[in-house]
Amino acid sequence: MRAFFDMGGYAAFVWPAYGVTLAVVLLNILSARRALERSRAEARRRLQMQGEAS
Amino acid sequence: MNWTWFHRLASPPHVYTLAARLTPWFAWPAALCIAAGLWGGLVLAPPDYQQGDGFRIIYVHAPSAWMSLMVYVTMASAAAIGLIWRMKVAHAVAASCAPIGASFTFAALVTGALWGQPMWGTYWEWDPRLTSELVLLFLYLGYIGLRAGIEDPQRADRASAVLAVVGVVNVPIIHYSVTWWNSLHQAPSVMRLGKPQMPAAMLVPLLLMLLGFTLLFIALLLTRLRGEVLARERAASWIREVVRT
Amino acid sequence: MNHREGNVAQPLAALDAPVPVDIATIATPRREASALAAVRLVLLRDLRLAFRKRSQLVQPLAFFAMVTLLFPLAISPELARLRELAPGVVWVGALLGSLLALEFLFRDDAHDGTLEQYALSGQSLTALMFAKTLAHWLLTGLPLALMAPLAAVSLGVPAAALPGILLAVAVGSVTLSLIGSIGAALTLGIKRSGALLSLLTLPLSLPVLIFGARATQLAIQGASFLAPLELLGALAVLGLTLAPLAAAAAVRISLE
Repeated sequence: MRAFFDMGGYAAFVWPAYGVTLAVVLLNILSARRALERSRAEARRRLQMQGEAS
Repeated sequence: MNWTWFHRLASPPHVYTLAARLTPWFAWPAALCIAAGLWGGLVLAPPDYQQGDGFRIIYVHAPSAWMSLMVYVTMASAAAIGLIWRMKVAHAVAASCAPIGASFTFAALVTGALWGQPMWGTYWEWDPRLTSELVLLFLYLGYIGLRAGIEDPQRADRASAVLAVVGVVNVPIIHYSVTWWNSLHQAPSVMRLGKPQMPAAMLVPLLLMLLGFTLLFIALLLTRLRGEVLARERAASWIREVVRT
Repeated sequence: MNHREGNVAQPLAALDAPVPVDIATIATPRREASALAAVRLVLLRDLRLAFRKRSQLVQPLAFFAMVTLLFPLAISPELARLRELAPGVVWVGALLGSLLALEFLFRDDAHDGTLEQYALSGQSLTALMFAKTLAHWLLTGLPLALMAPLAAVSLGVPAAALPGILLAVAVGSVTLSLIGSIGAALTLGIKRSGALLSLLTLPLSLPVLIFGARATQLAIQGASFLAPLELLGALAVLGLTLAPLAAAAAVRISLE
């Protein structure tokens, strides 16, 4: 187990690399979902305004 | 040959519902492939003869670099289709690609730098790949910046599409010139775990990661695409049904 | 291609000075200007107008000179050291100078509606973009190329290398103007687009920088710089074929 985390002495490089990539993946997922939600809310709002206008 | 399926791809409501349905079919296999790739790459694969366990960075660096290029080509293709056939959906695809591509280019640069420090003794190395990757990041940022700078959405779509097409024509030229430049200065031999020479135990997890990231890209693209399509459909009635929940 | 009435003559009405082309021939209804005549017209017009604001033309050159001045002050006055840096300094200076000059390419024409006239004129907008870019290069790129040997001399470059440097920058600046025209067309009308224009144009200009600096370096060493020069030429030819087309498309999009 210890050896796994140690990565043959390269731990200081390997784990941050994986960390950054994981962060980018997660950020992409969250950001995509948030963007979709925002678009849906915006569309809902527009429909409402149109509904009131008509 | 029945082309209806192709023509339907131009229809925003169809694309919206199709994207919603397809997303899980890419998201879950992506998660599976990446999990399997990580397990294979971090645990099962033996240490490299030269680089020990440090080589394992390849399992995140290579997919990121692959993503950065693949997404750019996708973006430029969609942009070209949008320009030529005036398809809003195509422009929506291009717009969706940009943030995904830029972020993975960043990841490729950072993981490349982290790989470089133990291997070359320096965090940054002006080798052709990293340098080209950096230029690619600027191409993405330019595209995103242009979109952000133009207020009219149609003009933004079409102007950034021209930029994307011009950019993709330049990518091989830039890469060639950077490689040419680098070769002049006797750069240290680029570290290569030459793929054909990679033993299966090392190669298979790599392929799994590449596949997994590709599937992830499609899932992300489909998600963003829905929002972009919605934003381009101002008063269409089909939206009513779709945003009800 | 459908020709409409000779609207190309319209912008000329604004000029006071006589134009060296027979307007009557071109402006007469039902007599349509050939593409070549239109190119010549636009080229001469741009050159004339630019000469009325000569101070504007000096700015990119002054900037180039200023950038060249920065490096010895920032690094070292030793000519031997500067000679090593000269290819980079000269080319970065020329590149940034040409970026600065891009501002002038479309600004006035977009402002007074001439650009729209060009787009509506029925003439090939690609040809007109070529004309404008050619004028722009004559007004900015070529002067920068002429200044490059001066900058090089100040950095300790031997006299034998100067013709090669002039040639390299002259050829390279053609491509820079062409690439720049695309960026300028895309960012038409965007307020404070300077940084964005740089962000768009610089990555695309990198090959010119790389080959140009290499040609300059070889020239300084007294070696043959033919290979990178030919590559510069190839880029220029590629740019000549594709850039005006892209710029025309970009202008149409920006004017919509």
